[in-house]
Amino acid sequence: MSAAAMPALPEAAQRHNLLSWLTTTDHKRIGILYLLTSLAYFGVAGFLSLLIRTQLARPNSTFVNAHQYAQLFTLHGTAMIFLFVAPFAFGLGNFLIPLQIGAPDMAFPRLNATSYWLFLFGGLVIFLGAATNEGAAASGWTAYPPLSEIRVSTGLGQDLWIVGVFLVSVATIVTSINFVTTVFIFRAPGMTMWRIPIFTWEMVATSLLVFMAFPSLAATLLLLLVDRKLGGHAFDPAYGGSPVLWDHLFWFFGHPEVYVMILPYFGVISEIVPVFSRKPIFGYTGLVLAAFAIAGLSMGVWAHHMFTTGVVNNPFFAFVSFLIAVPTGVKFFNWIATMWRGSISFETPMLFTIGFLLNFLIGGITGVMLASPPIDYQAHDSYFVVAHFHYVLGGGSLFAIFAALFFWWPKMFGVKLDEALGRWCFGLLFVGFNLTFLPMHFMGVMGMPRRVFTYDAGGPLPMLNLIATVGSYVMLAGVSVFVMNAIVSARARIPVGDDPWHANSLEWWTSSPPPEHNFESLPPIRSERPVYDARVAKA
Amino acid sequence: MASNWLIFLAAGACVGVIVLGLIVFPLVRWRSRPGDGEPPQFANNYPLEIAWTVIPLLIVGGLFVATYGAEARVDALADHPAATVAVDAYRWGWTFAYRGGPTIGGASSGPASLGVGQAVPELVLPLGETTRIELSASDVDHGFWIPDFLFKRDAIPGQTTAFDLVPTKLGTFEGRCSAFCGLQHESMLFRVRVVTPSAFVNWEKAQE
Repeated sequence: MSAAAMPALPEAAQRHNLLSWLTTTDHKRIGILYLLTSLAYFGVAGFLSLLIRTQLARPNSTFVNAHQYAQLFTLHGTAMIFLFVAPFAFGLGNFLIPLQIGAPDMAFPRLNATSYWLFLFGGLVIFLGAATNEGAAASGWTAYPPLSEIRVSTGLGQDLWIVGVFLVSVATIVTSINFVTTVFIFRAPGMTMWRIPIFTWEMVATSLLVFMAFPSLAATLLLLLVDRKLGGHAFDPAYGGSPVLWDHLFWFFGHPEVYVMILPYFGVISEIVPVFSRKPIFGYTGLVLAAFAIAGLSMGVWAHHMFTTGVVNNPFFAFVSFLIAVPTGVKFFNWIATMWRGSISFETPMLFTIGFLLNFLIGGITGVMLASPPIDYQAHDSYFVVAHFHYVLGGGSLFAIFAALFFWWPKMFGVKLDEALGRWCFGLLFVGFNLTFLPMHFMGVMGMPRRVFTYDAGGPLPMLNLIATVGSYVMLAGVSVFVMNAIVSARARIPVGDDPWHANSLEWWTSSPPPEHNFESLPPIRSERPVYDARVAKA
Repeated sequence: MASNWLIFLAAGACVGVIVLGLIVFPLVRWRSRPGDGEPPQFANNYPLEIAWTVIPLLIVGGLFVATYGAEARVDALADHPAATVAVDAYRWGWTFAYRGGPTIGGASSGPASLGVGQAVPELVLPLGETTRIELSASDVDHGFWIPDFLFKRDAIPGQTTAFDLVPTKLGTFEGRCSAFCGLQHESMLFRVRVVTPSAFVNWEKAQE
């Protein structure tokens, strides 16, 4: 792919006016739109979580009422999962995959733009519920019927929630088709499948998982909508329907979704650890196989969310859930071996990566505990589960998201984020995160159920909850420092050059930010780190 | 089951401390120093990679065996339970119908915890004997949870699920709904009172 084959576009086409952003089919701009939109939804969902923590700071608080509280945790969970953690990964994939494989764009650029707009408006439709008479959806992000059926949840908010999540799920499926097609047929000469960067591999595994899981979600949502609007009775036991059917169909999507929200971030960590250890990734093949092992196994564990229903084969689902710990452990050991005998430096992306490793370790251990049905009999639907999934999604994915922001920000915008502010951001988020979520393990074991808007005034619960609330405000400070960092560094406008971190993969070969067609030239691709090879050849 | 919790806590703590050490050690030992040359560029060690696949497989295999036995004991249903209670969960209260005995029930409402003498439905259980619970719900999903017993089961409309409780301690314990069921979910409480078998017989008679 030489420069001559891709004539430079006229200057005017590269100008970034508003209309060009609204009509863009450039994967980098769509990627940035995805990232900024998902960060905006993160801001909203984070604000909702502060309202939740404010309500729970004291027992018997009247800051919000029970109905407002139910809307808060429903929208918080829905937005974090459907509108932030997963779409952020898809934004990152949009920006990075063509660059990492040496392609000029995605396979289907207009389809790519379509999925972004579906995602944006799907999210807005969900939140639109808050403007209706009976408020937004209030049956949790899991929307279990009969609670979410029309005779119990009468409001329009629940319908808007169904439609919004449906639109987002279509966007996710469409983008995954685009990712897989792009990786399979758009690789540059020399870029064999066994040379594509681990992040791109993880996005392939994620996309295949989406193909299997998200159609189940989309179909299930439509069934609920038929129940609510057309008098269907799929989930209504009064007419022979089955609430447990929803549990099966929803979690058949829901557990693979957990890996849709973590595999891309395993990819992020696998990109960052080698760069800041000055070594190649250890066990490339093992990492790829582990990703597919996790993806495959995750299709067979959905009913571990249903241990307490008494109608599933608990030992089978416990066993498969335990097995997932093995490939996950392989990834951990590969990252450790990558650091082993390296030359490790601690720039902000690496700090967040270390935070990821420490937090995810705790989340992984409590995950194995929850896979044991007798433990789940106590922990299910309690704050122990809340602590667990926040350790994997907050301590894991969120920390990897910040690592990715600090790592690829220079490539996206041509300026580096400030390192001193970056360290503050990391410190505040790490301390705040653990203050917020560590106490929740104890609350759960003591008997505090999730989704309650108040709790026992006696005993240790008030103190534990107060600590958690203080922690959430420390996290707010950390996020604020990040916003400040983005503004400060944008004003400072210090150019970074093509490859500020001395990194390995092809996105660091082109300029920062890359030109519309991505590459003027490509180095020879003879391994999974062509930019490193070129650096060595030059020296 | 407390022993199963302890096994997993111990295993989790061991694995956690070892992996924590493996993460922190290289960060300290091989932090970059001025004048460092390029570190060795190794990227594979197949025996090691096989070892860290097989050893965790053995660990989770052992955990599965432990958990399988524990679950079999928790889920086991006795042939001849001393008492059988049909439990119905609804928004927002509980009904406890003793087979051949009284039906206790009523709405739960009020604060998020049991006060002394607070009027909530009471489930009376005989100490050391098996009580069969046949659980269902009449409107939406609920959860029957007694935190001190380390046990819960979902109450789902349209189906009945059975389990046995064998209390090992005299006293009064808090029970609550664990599955979000609407606006008074947090106050959907019940009281569990464990009494001696003879007191249980007397209590049943007194209810008639």
